[in-house]
Amino acid sequence: MEKYIELNNITYEYKNGIKVFEDFSLKINCEEFAFISGKNGSGKTTLTKLIMGILKPQKGNIHIFSKDIKNLSLGQIGQEIGYVFQFPERQLFTTSVIEELTFPLLFKGEDKKNVLRKAEELLDTFELEKLRNSYPHLLSYGEKRRLAIAAVLMNEPKYLILDEPTASLDDSRIVILSRTLDVLRSRNIGILVISHNKNFIGKHAQRIIILEGGRIIRDEQI
Amino acid sequence: MNKSKIDPRTKLLLILILSTLAIIYKQLLFLSLIFIISVLIALLMRSNLKSIVIKLKRLLGAIFAIALIQSFFIKAGTPIVKIGNLSLLTDFGIYKSIEFILRLGIIISSCSILTTSTSREIVQALVQLHIPYEIAFMVSIAIRFLPVFKDEMTDMIIAIQLRGIDLKKVKIKNKIRIYRYIFLPIVTNSLIKAKELSVAMEMRGFRAYPHRTSYNILLMSGLDYLIVSMSLVSVAMLIILI
Repeated sequence: MEKYIELNNITYEYKNGIKVFEDFSLKINCEEFAFISGKNGSGKTTLTKLIMGILKPQKGNIHIFSKDIKNLSLGQIGQEIGYVFQFPERQLFTTSVIEELTFPLLFKGEDKKNVLRKAEELLDTFELEKLRNSYPHLLSYGEKRRLAIAAVLMNEPKYLILDEPTASLDDSRIVILSRTLDVLRSRNIGILVISHNKNFIGKHAQRIIILEGGRIIRDEQI
Repeated sequence: MNKSKIDPRTKLLLILILSTLAIIYKQLLFLSLIFIISVLIALLMRSNLKSIVIKLKRLLGAIFAIALIQSFFIKAGTPIVKIGNLSLLTDFGIYKSIEFILRLGIIISSCSILTTSTSREIVQALVQLHIPYEIAFMVSIAIRFLPVFKDEMTDMIIAIQLRGIDLKKVKIKNKIRIYRYIFLPIVTNSLIKAKELSVAMEMRGFRAYPHRTSYNILLMSGLDYLIVSMSLVSVAMLIILI
């Protein structure tokens, strides 16, 4: 199976008439750490939302792992690619950290023992063990972000997209986030990160894509 | 008629009159007449009825469903659809469901008039109608935060699906559980936001003085007085004649 995300000749325009992409194409290798940067309004978040099927392009097609996303539900896309929103609190639903990790799999009827084992492993990896019974919405921003990443990893996605993970984080929190990315690399999970933080990009990027006005103005392998 | 020329107080009076008439009258003919008048007024005020209808598409579906269910449960009148001795649908049931649809149609179309004013203007109108500023401000905050809650709700529904839960395939019983998961953070976030907002407002001197002054004062124009007097005269005539 091809481990690529392909956007072919995409045109996307918001309902208010703002055209973000016109005849836009991009191929991403899902085994690498790719970073997208660019000014506000350049189309970074729109691009990731198109990949995740949250937004539907007016023209063109998007394939993830050789599958056209038109034929996939959000749930099916979520199994393949984990998505961490810019505001992690919008993807936290439960009253405890451990429940946050386990509820989707238990809901789908997976074996409880197996789900708990997986959750314990992620709590340990993302340094969240002490917070297992804490209320997710009362965690710090960095902890929420780590929990959101751990929660999407419960589905064992093949690829991860992070929308501005370094926003509102101080240097020490960015170091913790960097460790998180190292964990992902050790698990052979590729990522696509939207970021403005040059040091962070420099430390992790294997490919840098710069967007401006819905076009790629720089695309280089490191 | 320029929408900016009409005072929000005039609009509030029109809404009050139209929705009160919708509740008072039961005859379909009068309800249809009031519905047409309220749609005409909304269009004259340049309210974007089309966009409101699109936004309320799901609610309109629910209204029609309620009307249909209601018509099945009303047993009075001449049966139209019968299974043995059991009458499923009567003419009176259909009459009552149309009455229900017209009533809600009047309320929705008349309330759309208010969308032609900004939330600031509505608050100012309420203040000048001697409603305590705290209550008027609460109304304004509620209006201001509606789009934010809508965005949050949309993101959460997307996020829960991206966690691998296919909402279309989930059974109704489990769907309720899923919506509990979605509503919990929305309530929590609202409480957190409300707390932060109240602190920010206190820091900016909200209610620091017993009396407030306003930079923008609403003034009723001749057109407003004409609309108000015509509305009151029409209502009085309707009450006397019918």
